[in-house]
Amino acid sequence: MAKQQVKSGDNVTRWIVIAMVLLVVASGVFFSMISQNNKENESLAALGGIKLKPAITSTIDPENGSAIVFNAGLPKVIDVWEDPQCPVCKNFEDAFGDYLDSLVREKKATVRFHVLSFLGDESVRAANASFCAADEGQYLDFHKALYAVQSPLENSGFWSNETLVAIGAKIGIKSEKFTKCVNDGEKVDVVKANYDSMPKFGVQGTPTVFINGKLWERTNPNFDLGEFSAAVEAN
Amino acid sequence: MKKLNDRFQPVITLLARLILGGVLLAAGGLKVFKPTDSANAVAAYKLMPTELAHLIGYALPWLEVAIGLLLIVGFMVRPAAVLSGLIMIVFIGAIASVWARGMLIDCGCFGGGGEIDPSLASEVRMNYFIEIMRDLGLALAALYLYFFPYGKLSIEKAAPSTKE
Repeated sequence: MAKQQVKSGDNVTRWIVIAMVLLVVASGVFFSMISQNNKENESLAALGGIKLKPAITSTIDPENGSAIVFNAGLPKVIDVWEDPQCPVCKNFEDAFGDYLDSLVREKKATVRFHVLSFLGDESVRAANASFCAADEGQYLDFHKALYAVQSPLENSGFWSNETLVAIGAKIGIKSEKFTKCVNDGEKVDVVKANYDSMPKFGVQGTPTVFINGKLWERTNPNFDLGEFSAAVEAN
Repeated sequence: MKKLNDRFQPVITLLARLILGGVLLAAGGLKVFKPTDSANAVAAYKLMPTELAHLIGYALPWLEVAIGLLLIVGFMVRPAAVLSGLIMIVFIGAIASVWARGMLIDCGCFGGGGEIDPSLASEVRMNYFIEIMRDLGLALAALYLYFFPYGKLSIEKAAPSTKE
């Protein structure tokens, strides 16, 4: 095919247009990055609302995927599988977090938190920090704080060890042990053990919940507290 | 065939510009103010380091809007067509790669994106096929515009034809 001929003499216009397109794209990228960063920093600044509750000790149960276990040995057992970066887990936490807290604090059930990390490096770091917080007896509140500041952009660079230590400090976990544990990645073996136990328990995604070993499947498209608490109490 | 093309070329060029430009403008416009979704969508292909994927996710919608506008108004059609053709080839490659690796994601072509529940596997694979066919069609439109960038309702006009 014969190409149509280009009209000559429009070289200047051509370069101006190319420069304009590049400018539009570059300023768009700049605008997007700044707004993403601002959102993350604002959420961190807004963390003041969480006040640290009394410490409550948990154990790590190697028999059950190295989960964080509260109130081991009660007849009612709830298994919660989550990844700190998973957006639906945030919805789950927003809807049921306080209820699960009350089950733990009022010793109504054994609750096992399986902290997964299949969404990338930042999940691994956040999970590591979660186990560090569990050592301080503050898993529940740290976990709440993580979801409160969860970035809508996965692996955005926000959950650096530095930020994770800052999140702890904001809610009142200030021990040097915690800081060291986060920075040195002291819990990565347990984090890996949690991740590796997924196939054994048939867990493919998050959030996944078992009530007394039975998979809980919601019928409501949203997380309905009434439906969940009824299921917990029925078993 | 050649005669037919000579006769209808200005109209075909216009249609190709409007279809290719319109799709790009729509695709870009739907994502341009949802940069987070766009960055997540590109990262979900797992084709490059996360940071680079996010950067491309931020840039792509703006690029699509810019090229789409150029095509629609009929300005710098040939370079815009080359660029959009290249973009389509990259899209086709990316979707094919995701399909071949057995991943289940939303292409994020018009916003959205990210992983999809395994229960929808057959639908997702059907979508991959449709998306590749669509992008192939758009790449052909781009190819046509490379050869015949000047047609009706265009800011740029063809140089007077110099018949040999």
